Amino acid sequence: MTSTTEAPAGRSEAPASSVRRRLRPGRADRRWWPFAAPTIVLTVAFFILPFLLNIYFAFTQWTGFSSVIAPNGLDNFRNLADSGVLWTATRVTVTYAVIAMLLQNVISLGLALLMQNTSPVNSFFRALFFLPVLISPLAAGYIWSAILEPQGPLNAVIGLVSPGFDHAWLGDTRTVLASVAFIDVWKWSGIVTLVYIAGLNAIPQSLVEAARIDGAGAWKIFWLVKFRLLAPAFTFSVVVSFLGALNAFDIIQATTRGGPGSASLVLNVALYRQYAGGFFGNASAISLTIAALVVVLGVPLIAALRRRELEG
Amino acid sequence: MSTTTDTAPPTTPPRRRRRVSRGDLAMQAGLAFIALPWIVVPVWLLVVNSLKSYEEASLLDLSLPSEWRFDNYATVFEEGNYGMGLFNSLVIALPTLATVIVFGSMAAWAFARSQRVSMKIAYNMSVLSILLPPAILPTIYELQVLGIDGSRLGYYLVLVGTRLGVVVFLATGFVRAMSPDIEEAAAIDGASKPQIYRLLILPSLLPVLLVGGVILIITIWNEFLFALFLLRGGERATLPLGLFRFASAAPEVASFRWDLVFAHVTLTSLPIVIVYFFVQRRLVQGLSEGAVKG
Repeated sequence: MTSTTEAPAGRSEAPASSVRRRLRPGRADRRWWPFAAPTIVLTVAFFILPFLLNIYFAFTQWTGFSSVIAPNGLDNFRNLADSGVLWTATRVTVTYAVIAMLLQNVISLGLALLMQNTSPVNSFFRALFFLPVLISPLAAGYIWSAILEPQGPLNAVIGLVSPGFDHAWLGDTRTVLASVAFIDVWKWSGIVTLVYIAGLNAIPQSLVEAARIDGAGAWKIFWLVKFRLLAPAFTFSVVVSFLGALNAFDIIQATTRGGPGSASLVLNVALYRQYAGGFFGNASAISLTIAALVVVLGVPLIAALRRRELEG
Repeated sequence: MSTTTDTAPPTTPPRRRRRVSRGDLAMQAGLAFIALPWIVVPVWLLVVNSLKSYEEASLLDLSLPSEWRFDNYATVFEEGNYGMGLFNSLVIALPTLATVIVFGSMAAWAFARSQRVSMKIAYNMSVLSILLPPAILPTIYELQVLGIDGSRLGYYLVLVGTRLGVVVFLATGFVRAMSPDIEEAAAIDGASKPQIYRLLILPSLLPVLLVGGVILIITIWNEFLFALFLLRGGERATLPLGLFRFASAAPEVASFRWDLVFAHVTLTSLPIVIVYFFVQRRLVQGLSEGAVKG
């Protein structure tokens, strides 16, 4: 790549002294700012600043009916708690995230084990199982709400064994949350599977061989060798699928909009309802609740999984 | 694009071509068995029912249409404002992607090479945006103050601000793993920082930027949450927002107009599927070799 070093046309024919100056850490480091500045400005303006403002807005009286934004202490949280929304939506969100995270990692790891070896056939399957990642979560929601309709294909298949089966998967409070969590898992499994394949292929083949020579069976090799050495991929997938599911919105808005009753009312859907009703302060309070959940549940989760990586 | 050499598979010993063993065959049969309900049935259901009449599509079965209704797609173009949605999605997604890739890779280089504490803090702040949920209400407030609430420009800026972290995270790790020797040699030879970025750093980052770029274009193209809150008025709706409004607005029937919803879903997904078709090999290879290590 020597062509890249061609002398810059006249402009900065740097004498040796300025080169040395450039290499001294203090001054040289100052020259990095122009490269980092656009990212820092945009991230601060449209991510960090709104995030900090939200901490304030959550404790204000702010509605669509008045232009005044006035601090009101814990009133928003109290209102939300009194109407039952806060607790219900938090419980639904956490349950949804736990189901989605468990299903996601079991299914994706299973698929990864089946497609681990690099071969033309497996390349085809890897690309095929990636397809749901491409479509919008809304689209996934519409497709699966069709499949899960009482007269839809799933019940038609079950009907072969148990004639007349017409369970409304999304219309029953007992199955709705697992059903929408499943759609979430279906949508993202392609990418999690590839992360696990990368993890599996990073395991030294010699260790697996050694275990086999020592007489370990397939299950022992998986559980005692592969699964332990898979720790970084496991951490990444568990954390991303869990925290991502705490933020769920699109699929639920496309399928149930929080119903039936409030059986699938996740925090983001509750937030949208408050916003649509003009209760911006309440909506901010819900937003802060999601952020708090991510920190309160995410930090210990990451810490525990990291510790496990080191012990593994 | 000489980057394929960089992504050459890691040094696996040249294994002898094994005959396809019975175990492999069983696994492939298993995969085919899973792929049937997992992929084939949903795709088939979507496509055949998008070509049926309203009454027939409501049955939601997997049979072929008794009469092929290609005009469903024309209806989506007219009543679903597909053309406008496609235009909006393109004018928002492409500049967002370009901005995020260029600014993000520039910053990643700086974050990876600078020793300053302030740069470390800036790096962590931008990576935080991957994990923490976005604060929507203050974002709307801020855009109102700036006078760009409800506009495509405002939506673009918010997307950029919340997505830069992904590129920063992926590319900073990549640069840290690169030796700084060549950059230093180029600097001694008198190359300026912008030249080193353009001619050395950017080309070396291409593999990771391709993977990051594809993940980004998928999530940006399909973005719905911010679109719903930030883009008001039908004439600015992106494809997902258009799809949602189209599906939600069926006053004459209790359930969805499955024929038209499916046609809209198909048309909305098509652009990304076409892009995927071209980059599929390198994307899947890149990801399954660990471009997203934690």
